Amino acid sequence: MSDLAIDIRNVVKRYEEHVAVRDLSLQVPRGSVYGLLGPNGAGKTTTIRMILDIILPDEGTITLFGQPNTSVAVLDQLGYLPEERGLYKKMQVRRVLTFLAELKGLKPTEAARRIDQWLDRFGLITPEKDWGEAKVDELSRGMQQKVQFISTLLHDPELVILDEPFSGLDPINAQALKDAVLELKQRGKTVIFSTHVMDNAERMCDSVCIIANGRKVLDGNLAEVKREAGTRNVALALNGGAHNGVGEILRDTRLVSKLDDTNNFFELELAPAADAQVLLRRLVDAGASIERFELVQPSLHQIFLQRVGASGVETGMSGHG
Amino acid sequence: MANKILIVAKREYLERVRSRAFVIMTLLVPALMAGVILVPTYMATRGGVSASFRHIRILDATGAGLGDRVSTVLAADTTSKDTTSGPFVVAVAPGQLAAAESAAVRDVMKPKSLTGYLVLDDSTLAGKRARYAGRNASSVTEMEKLESAVKQSVMMVRLEHEGVNKQTIDELAKSKLELSSERLTEKGRGGSGPSGLFAGVIIGLMLLMAIIVHGQNVMRGVLEEKTSRVAEVVISSIKPESLLAGKVLGVGGVGLTQIVAWIGIGGYLVTFFMPLLTKNAGAGGAMSAGAAPTAMAFAGISPGVLGISIAYFLLGFVFYATLFAAAGSMVNSEQEAQQAVMPVMLLLMSGWIFVSPVLINPNSTLAVVLSWLPWSSPIIMPIRMGLAAVSPLSVIGSLAVGFVGSCAAVWLAARIYRVGMLMYGKKPSFAELAKWIRYA
Repeated sequence: MSDLAIDIRNVVKRYEEHVAVRDLSLQVPRGSVYGLLGPNGAGKTTTIRMILDIILPDEGTITLFGQPNTSVAVLDQLGYLPEERGLYKKMQVRRVLTFLAELKGLKPTEAARRIDQWLDRFGLITPEKDWGEAKVDELSRGMQQKVQFISTLLHDPELVILDEPFSGLDPINAQALKDAVLELKQRGKTVIFSTHVMDNAERMCDSVCIIANGRKVLDGNLAEVKREAGTRNVALALNGGAHNGVGEILRDTRLVSKLDDTNNFFELELAPAADAQVLLRRLVDAGASIERFELVQPSLHQIFLQRVGASGVETGMSGHG
Repeated sequence: MANKILIVAKREYLERVRSRAFVIMTLLVPALMAGVILVPTYMATRGGVSASFRHIRILDATGAGLGDRVSTVLAADTTSKDTTSGPFVVAVAPGQLAAAESAAVRDVMKPKSLTGYLVLDDSTLAGKRARYAGRNASSVTEMEKLESAVKQSVMMVRLEHEGVNKQTIDELAKSKLELSSERLTEKGRGGSGPSGLFAGVIIGLMLLMAIIVHGQNVMRGVLEEKTSRVAEVVISSIKPESLLAGKVLGVGGVGLTQIVAWIGIGGYLVTFFMPLLTKNAGAGGAMSAGAAPTAMAFAGISPGVLGISIAYFLLGFVFYATLFAAAGSMVNSEQEAQQAVMPVMLLLMSGWIFVSPVLINPNSTLAVVLSWLPWSSPIIMPIRMGLAAVSPLSVIGSLAVGFVGSCAAVWLAARIYRVGMLMYGKKPSFAELAKWIRYA
């Protein structure tokens, strides 16, 4: 078997009015946690649907674990949590879970055993009430999300695809999800998740791919991506903010090419020919009260903004997910 | 993949059969149908001789024993062993008839007494007229019954006068004749007259109802999967075509279960209650002319017609259910769905609106054409078969055309469904639909 969980080559997907995905190629190593990042409408969901063989690409090939993604055996190894979640409302929780597991090729008896374990783990079986016997629409939203998450993992898939998994989750459920993702990685499973929240991605992903306007902007190991972005960034903390001439220095384009000002804290990128020492000296001369001055790798958030840019976000907004 | 289709079908079947609505529908409809058949029969027997004529007074001024005859004929229709009651015969001299009548009027007007009185005199004996007055005088069936009893009695009395053997007359009086009718057409024998008509209407109506109810169920199921967004998860595990197939199969199974239950329960109710009712009416053929054919409606449906009807149901169901599913997949709400199913409903009704001409002349060109078109044959052909002889070749041919039509409907619906299930937003125009069909 291939050590690539997903191998997408030159995939194109056109819709009536626009191109959702243009010539996308990406490789996801087995056993990694992979972030599919991009602004809304970048083509993330379209890409995921093509991986799952829900929609067909117009051009290009997609293989999963070395086999074409049309193979039933391969599709049964996938667990998918869509962005828009929902279950059969009038159906009993256990029956919904059994049905979805059976569709993935699990035997009903085995499914029943695992359902009990999972319901117990997520606190859906309590001494007072077994929520597995309840109908889906009797559950709270949080509980329904847990049930949906169980349905994604019940058949112990090799590859788990989570589309915007954190949207609409309260902090407790979000933490449970993070723990579950980590556990999957430890067990050698591959996890892909798409998000536009960079903080989550930076904390959890081994590798990332940023797409905008249906094009891949950048991909690779997260550490490498950050290293390649270089240490041209300065993390600066000032006591009392940028008063007097300090603001002027920071806006000097010969020294600073980009500035992210969050009042007391600044993340700035040095201009191509600028020297960090010169900047530090000038700030001291201007009388700034410096609490921190550190050469750092840019955050994923910065890399994202730098590579995608405001324009990429804007034009991407109009398209499909 | 076939396995996954069965998993979907199993879910659809079990979830629906477990539902309260299904249980209620399954029990209620045959109860209603049995009621429709049994109540008129019951009314006919109740309204018969037994109850009303038990409390009438017969004023016999003929002096020829005509009153006793009438009483005997009327009593023969009753089942009660109670000999103390029954039409009371009072022999009256012609001169006292007026006094006896006014006494009878007074008695009828007392509560819980006589129902009415019958006056027999010489003109009755002459075969001209008899008079009746009573509370039940407005009941057409009862008056017909009374009239025929008087006619029969007059005939017997006069035969006796002519010197015919009394025993022969009594035997004649007992003879009960029932007319069984059979329809003959240029193609030969077929069905049994009026009962075939009822059988045809019942079968046709049942098929139409089952297709509408379960077709709409498929549509609602599709809509539920789409609006609850569960569709995307399911479609990541199974191809949309297989999901559609499983759904149609499962709901079709529910429909079939219901039809079989309807026929079973309805048939049982009718066969169980009918003898009770007819026995109640006595051996005297009290089953009135109106009740007989309805009672025979079930008996008139032969197993062959039933089997072929089920085959037509399956074809018609597949044809319409997939189209209903396609309509459900195009829209985002129940309200929009009502609009989207309109064309499908019109197609379905385009056959049904011609039912009465077909009933009147089941071998007309119109009926023949409708029984071949795939969208009307599932309803029209079983009706025609109940009414007239249809050659096996035409049945096989029409089934084959229906099969091809169903395949075409499935092909078309699957393409719309595939795209529609994942498309949210505004309802597609016809031009967009055409694109979906080409694109898929």
